[in-house]
Amino acid sequence: MENLAQEVMDKLKTWARVNSPWAIHFNSGSCNGCDIEILATFTPRYDVERFGIKLQGSPRHADVLVCTGPVTLQARDRLLRIYEQMPEPKFVVAVGSCGISGGVFQGCYNVVGDISEVIPVNVYIPGCPPRPEAIIHGIVELLKSLQK
Amino acid sequence: MDTQELLQQALEIVKEWTIEVTQPEENRRDIYIDARNIKPAVKALLIEGRWGYLSAITGLDSPEYQIDEETKERKVDPEKGKLEVLYHFCNKAAIASLRIRLPYVGAEVESICDMLPSASFYEREAMELIGITFKNTPITDHLILPDNWPAGVYPLRKTFKGFEKKAQG
Amino acid sequence: MEPKQKSEKFVVPIGPQHPALKEPGHFEFTVDGEIVTNATARLGFVHRGMEKGVEDRNWTQGLYLMERVCGICSHVHAMAYALGVEKLANVQAPPRAQAIRELVAELERIHSHLLWLGVAAHEGGFDTLFMFSWRDRETVMDLLETITGNRVNYSANVLGGVKIDISDAQKDALLKGMDFLEERTEHYMKVVTEDETFLGRTRKIGVMTFDEATLLGAIGPTGRASGVQRDVRVDSPYAGYPDFPVNIITSDAGDLEARFIVRIKELYESYRLVREIVDHLPEGDLTVKVPRRIPEGEVISRVEAPRGELLYFMKSNGSDKPERIKVRTPSLCNWGSVLTTAIGHKLADMPMILAGIDPCFSCNDRMVMINGKQSETQVWDWENLRQYGIEYYK
Repeated sequence: MENLAQEVMDKLKTWARVNSPWAIHFNSGSCNGCDIEILATFTPRYDVERFGIKLQGSPRHADVLVCTGPVTLQARDRLLRIYEQMPEPKFVVAVGSCGISGGVFQGCYNVVGDISEVIPVNVYIPGCPPRPEAIIHGIVELLKSLQK
Repeated sequence: MDTQELLQQALEIVKEWTIEVTQPEENRRDIYIDARNIKPAVKALLIEGRWGYLSAITGLDSPEYQIDEETKERKVDPEKGKLEVLYHFCNKAAIASLRIRLPYVGAEVESICDMLPSASFYEREAMELIGITFKNTPITDHLILPDNWPAGVYPLRKTFKGFEKKAQG
Repeated sequence: MEPKQKSEKFVVPIGPQHPALKEPGHFEFTVDGEIVTNATARLGFVHRGMEKGVEDRNWTQGLYLMERVCGICSHVHAMAYALGVEKLANVQAPPRAQAIRELVAELERIHSHLLWLGVAAHEGGFDTLFMFSWRDRETVMDLLETITGNRVNYSANVLGGVKIDISDAQKDALLKGMDFLEERTEHYMKVVTEDETFLGRTRKIGVMTFDEATLLGAIGPTGRASGVQRDVRVDSPYAGYPDFPVNIITSDAGDLEARFIVRIKELYESYRLVREIVDHLPEGDLTVKVPRRIPEGEVISRVEAPRGELLYFMKSNGSDKPERIKVRTPSLCNWGSVLTTAIGHKLADMPMILAGIDPCFSCNDRMVMINGKQSETQVWDWENLRQYGIEYYK
């Protein structure tokens, strides 16, 4: 009986999370190209809020961390702390080529590069910057994988 | 006034401190002055002369190289090279740059922030990245390098080749 | 949250980060009751080490790097760099290429001003205006994508010219786009000059006088809103501007409202320029050959970015890699001037005043200065400061 209840709760939680993920956005040193495309997904043409994705400000309420940039040395600690403050289960989406390899900034002295050298990443969305459609697609892929 | 007239006007204003004038481009003059005269020159040009505005301060590492006898490697000669600071003043299309030379060790020049508070950002940038000391500049906190950046390491100097380990923060 | 009576330090972290974390990039205000007595900033959050990085890349690779100093104004960075290299190499890009450079630059100005309009409106609590302006902005994003292949980071420039051409179909699309945007811009002008709530937050707020602006070196729309006649496109024309000149737009009021009006009027100018270039695009080649090794020399390349004058100091040592590239972005200039004049204003006005500079997050991080007497430091996040401003004016 207890196992069944637990299963139902888990399914409900997944449904709630999948249907209404709360996201927090963090710029770890990007040129802002990716950030404005992320912001564009919330504007009328793409209107990602109709899928229930909500962008809010506190890591403590976030399911998904949307991270741009090649992680500058200055941003590294902050990124780590935000990740630590997020409750389980939590997921990370790296938007842009910078988060994959450092992008054009690979080798620059103040840049770490790959976001997964700092925190684990679930989804990489390549592009410089990726289009809003690509960003939405990446997030939807993440949500679909949660349904399994 | 056309560009050449404007440039002539600038040269006149700072005549008494001028060591040398070069013309890197048609609309530019580089005016070499002694570092100790930077404040009177800026005062005469900008504050009293109202010639244009300070557009940027560039820090430059102009090294001389020596070839190591044994390894045949090219290395920066700390005796011969120099640091330079260029104060770029723009007036319409004319650009007059006051240019000072400083040694690698003891690279010091007076801050101009008491006359021009907005110069603080430019001075902070040059301090961190090239290692020029601007005496009496109001803020010396790091502007752009991380808090845990090692002291005395100036990334824009030619001797800086990056860190051996990949950046870990 | 209320500012207390005695001198207080407020630390306002920049950007969407958690407020309780100690900030390497933030604004700090000192307030005496309501009034800001000092403002300072700390940058560094987006510092990537590009000026050093470019010394390890050849001139062509450098172009792609410098384009990404800023995603919002990437074309002007690439253009300043390319123009500088061409000066060093003593070549001139062909007239068609220069005209196309100007075309893309003006389209970028349109996208940037509309972006700013939305963000500044959001800072003041006018979210509807934010949504409208960003929806309309999609028109210019589509045009940029049609012409260059990308919405952001267009890479239209190559050393020696451009790599894109404008077809007749694209010309039609451009003209239609300008017509649509012009009509929408009339609406924005109305809101900005007639809406009571909006005016309450912008009229006579954040005034910078002509003398202050001139001395402190205010540039771009911020300076022009205080009557300073500085615009690199007019003072020192580059690319296609000698053939397709722009009219300088200034205002004498020097307040926040003036900064809004100047930018909206600049939108009209940009629409006019786009139409003119489309109608009179010169024939000819798109590129001229640039050698791999660039002759020794030093050049200064100045262009008018949407935020103001962008200056590139470029030094070549005769090889295929740059010796030194120094970038002075417009926001760095504007910080100094506006923050100095922010003193004496109310804390509640800070979000709008800061937004009024049109700060480029990535060209510089946002800065805030602190001059502190020792007392407890309160940490507010940007959202709180923004809300405080909105509540204050209700």
